[in-house]
Amino acid sequence: MGNKQTIFTTQQLDAYQDCTYFTRKEILRLFYRYRDLAPQLVPLDYTSHPDVKLPYELIGSMPELKDNPFRQRIAEVFSEDGEGNMTLDDFLDMFSVLSEMAPRDLKAYYAFKIYDFNNDDFICKSDLEKTLNKLTRNELTEDEVRMVCEKVIDEADLDNDGRLSLEDFQHMIVRAPDFLSTFHIRI
Amino acid sequence: MTSYSNGGFFNPAYHDNETLEIDKRYPRKNNHTNPYAREAPSWQGSGAETHNGSVGRTTGGDDSLARMPWGGWEEESQRGRESIPMGLISTRHHDRNHSAFQINPDSQYDRSRIGQLPSSISANMTMRWRGMTMRSMSMFPDADPARLAFTEDAIRNEMENEEQNQVKELVALSTRDRIHAIRSLPTSFAEKKHIRSQVLKSAKKSRKNAHLADFSENVSLFFRRCGYSVRSARQTLQLWHGIMKEIGGKFGTSVLSYFVFLKWLLMFNIFSFLVNFGFITIPLLVYDPTPNIPPNVSFRGLELLTGAGYFRYTVMYYGGYSNKILVGLVDYNMQLAYFFTITLYMVLCGVALLYSMASSFQTNYVLAAPASSGAWQLLCSWDFSVTNERAVRQRKNNLRVQLQESLSEKAQRERLTLSVKLKQFGVYLGSWLLSTGLAVGCGASIFYLCQYEEQRTTDAPSWTLLQEAETLLLPFVVSLMNLVIPLFYSLFNKFELYSSQRKQVYALVVRNVLLRGSILGVLCYYWMNVVPEKFSCWESVVGQSLYRLVIFDFLFLMLGSFFGEFLSKVLGTTLLPRLGVPEFDIARNVLELIYAQTLAWIGIYFSPLLPAIQILKFFILFYLKKVSLTHNCQPPRRTGRAAQMQTTFIALLFFPFFVGAVSMVAFTAWRLTPSKHCGPFRGLSNTFIVVEVWIAELAAKPGSVWVVWIYQHVIESELFYFMLVLIVLVVIYMFWQVIQGRKQLIVLLKQQIVNEGKDKAFLLEKLQNLQKSRPNKILKQKTPKKHTKQRSGNVSAGGQSTSNAMLQALFARQQLEDEEGRRGNGGVPVPSDISTSSALVQAMMARQRAEDQEEDTHMSDTDFSSPSAFTQASQARQRAEVEAWDEHNGAADYHENAANTSSAVMLVMQARQRAEDEDRTQWVPAHPQNPVPAGSSALIQAMLARQQAQNEFDDGY
Repeated sequence: MGNKQTIFTTQQLDAYQDCTYFTRKEILRLFYRYRDLAPQLVPLDYTSHPDVKLPYELIGSMPELKDNPFRQRIAEVFSEDGEGNMTLDDFLDMFSVLSEMAPRDLKAYYAFKIYDFNNDDFICKSDLEKTLNKLTRNELTEDEVRMVCEKVIDEADLDNDGRLSLEDFQHMIVRAPDFLSTFHIRI
Repeated sequence: MTSYSNGGFFNPAYHDNETLEIDKRYPRKNNHTNPYAREAPSWQGSGAETHNGSVGRTTGGDDSLARMPWGGWEEESQRGRESIPMGLISTRHHDRNHSAFQINPDSQYDRSRIGQLPSSISANMTMRWRGMTMRSMSMFPDADPARLAFTEDAIRNEMENEEQNQVKELVALSTRDRIHAIRSLPTSFAEKKHIRSQVLKSAKKSRKNAHLADFSENVSLFFRRCGYSVRSARQTLQLWHGIMKEIGGKFGTSVLSYFVFLKWLLMFNIFSFLVNFGFITIPLLVYDPTPNIPPNVSFRGLELLTGAGYFRYTVMYYGGYSNKILVGLVDYNMQLAYFFTITLYMVLCGVALLYSMASSFQTNYVLAAPASSGAWQLLCSWDFSVTNERAVRQRKNNLRVQLQESLSEKAQRERLTLSVKLKQFGVYLGSWLLSTGLAVGCGASIFYLCQYEEQRTTDAPSWTLLQEAETLLLPFVVSLMNLVIPLFYSLFNKFELYSSQRKQVYALVVRNVLLRGSILGVLCYYWMNVVPEKFSCWESVVGQSLYRLVIFDFLFLMLGSFFGEFLSKVLGTTLLPRLGVPEFDIARNVLELIYAQTLAWIGIYFSPLLPAIQILKFFILFYLKKVSLTHNCQPPRRTGRAAQMQTTFIALLFFPFFVGAVSMVAFTAWRLTPSKHCGPFRGLSNTFIVVEVWIAELAAKPGSVWVVWIYQHVIESELFYFMLVLIVLVVIYMFWQVIQGRKQLIVLLKQQIVNEGKDKAFLLEKLQNLQKSRPNKILKQKTPKKHTKQRSGNVSAGGQSTSNAMLQALFARQQLEDEEGRRGNGGVPVPSDISTSSALVQAMMARQRAEDQEEDTHMSDTDFSSPSAFTQASQARQRAEVEAWDEHNGAADYHENAANTSSAVMLVMQARQRAEDEDRTQWVPAHPQNPVPAGSSALIQAMLARQQAQNEFDDGY
């Protein structure tokens, strides 16, 4: 544990460790990952809180994200500007939520946001259709899409309002134990 | 809070939602210095006018304190932050002075819907709050923004209050909990950081002595940093991080789970090796480093395979250990050390297994829903860890196929006729009989093979090379069976048409377990009954057999991945493209691991250093499987329930295999006579005697009487175990009853959720009907005036708790007053109500009616005879409204405070009184239209009543 690094102050590192599920080592590793996306943009000294933001195009090109069908949604949900442009903080936050240590409720909350394409705080049929098209490469017929969406809503909608609220979603997540391990991106 | 005193009105499911939140959003590109002052000129003035400035800021006093936290926040909003977290108001902890609404002047409200709220101490609560916000949002798609914005200051105060409270709550927690709570806040990072700094500050402040505070702060910081360093170091020690990531990226979580299991077993074996090596072998080696090997025995190389010969006299086996008390720095009783190490090891293994099994049962089985569920397939099954392009493509394909299958399955299932069913049953029966027969046959043939081997081998101190080689026959056959028979099982499995993949996998697993169980059972029988009579140092002979089995198992595992994966890949790609590239068979591979581990457990007594071999084996296996997987296999076609399979595997590892191994070792220790001339227990009638001898020694020494007492009264006493069993049974029975109760509760709660949904649907329908019945009026009404042009959809108000309901009602009223300001007429009953959805609906209806009545210049008034305080609130408001209507100036002064039930009631009562004072002249009394009958949803009753009233008014009109 040498104190060689000069990227962050000790206080900054403490704050990062307190606010994310990462250790100092992982934070530094993530920083370098972040920096590697655009070495000319990201300074090696973060002690003065530089206001650096990487555009979505760069974030989305990470090997961890580039083949993920939801990469744009993920970036949008975790970025402060909602357009996928990320600061280092957003970046750390994103991987913290997607890490192994994050609790189920937190993961479920963000997963819900990711699936909620139109940001209306409900997963409605149009969101499901979008999800389905992203997951199946638009190869289902319209009828099939409709049927699957209906089935999903029928199964998961507890209060019969024709769309999935966060509660419905969480209820479903609780009963799908794999979610914890699948909503997980290793870095 | 809202409590159950309101009869059947409340849905208990929402009772823990003791909060009210206001969501607030900002235009994305906002460059004002003060986000609150954006539209001040137009709306603030009018808002104040309409309400006679009555709703102002009253909490300006604590501004200096409260403003501070928002410094950074405002700054961020200038940086183009999309959505600004607004406070959640925990009604529990503080009085709210203003319940207020705010607007979103942003026309692109859709984008900015993601409310980021700073939030509570516990993640659960937070989530619930978020849920509420989400639910209550967007119910007012065309709210009038300007009208409602007048209370932004109030909102800010609330938020500041809220944040203060949140910080207070966090400060009250222990450092550890606090960090956990902060981490799990579903807010942006900056928000978390801000809250953290607030918490740290106030934590410091709350200490009286500054020096002491500094000191304890530093100490806690030091410990925290230590903790983080330890975690970091542990991560450095983590094996195979990169490989795991690669596998997960290419093959997904389910295949990864095999590797995780393998790694777990490896760790397990490292632990057991350390225990055995540390407590048994090292002391012996320190005392006597050279093994006493007969002069005519030398190392020939074949020992590596057979474990016999040279190895027989080393510390590898039971026979190599002495029974003496090693005299060194301290006296070390080898007998006791051997006995207690093995016992302790077994107990620790059992506890570790039980623990991991129970915890994984709890998370993976108890609540799990059936895997075929489409909702699960669509929303929970996508594996975010997959990063390989090809794998992603394949997964998409698989998912599509699965979805299509699940659509067609339903139709198919109904068509099954009796004859088809009978045929299926026949196939099941046949394959089960066949597989069981195979397992039994294997067991029998192993038995005869053992007998044959027994005749061939002699008890000589050294064997010829041929004799040694002959011993390899048995492990060869056993491993061959373990390799080949499961292939047959897989073949049967193809003919059986199980309705779900899970059943299919389980059938396969059960058959494999049967096979391995029967083989191991026969071997154990042979070792326990035949070997001790024939060989002078029989423990070592058993140890050798186990060594051979372990080694051969390893060789066959390698062969297995060659045949199972490499060959079928070659076949699939060149000769029979129909077969395709094989999938990695997780079930088979995991069963192989379990079998290997069982061998190590059985062998622990006979060959204490077997874990060393096991470590080596698993280590190599890991790389082998990884290479085989990446070169030969494709990602699994079906996304099964990996987590549940994992649980099943741990359960299997525990139940037949570990329990079997333990009972075998226990039987050996209690019943069998150790060999006379070798090993630590030579000369004793059974192993357990060691303890008795030790206790007898201890009894002679003063000061250790308690050990003797414990031994006599606990270990040796039947009464103790009898009582223990009795107590355990009672506890189990009690827990059973609790479980039954919980199950009933779950059913009831589910029913309640469904009912709630029905209520909501019903009310919505009513609303729609109402809307339909007066479309013309609504059309006419759409004559906007001055500043009210902006229509913003996301003025939201909480709809979850009582206070939210108040907010909704208030909102509706504001709207009404807006109209009233224009036309100078219209009074409305604003029912404020209880449960989530209904509150929203009520508020909407109120608004609707307001719009209608503006046309009618009629007043409708409905009285609720519900005992709810909120009914009172609504009455109060109604009257106030009426008054406002009469006087054409909307001069009513309201103080709506919905902090908690009681205070809300108090304030509403005040408001009502004031209203009543003012409206003496032209008051039109309200008539209860329809007394609420007891029973079902009072809400619906109220609705109906109101509608009736409405109808009557219409008729009269």
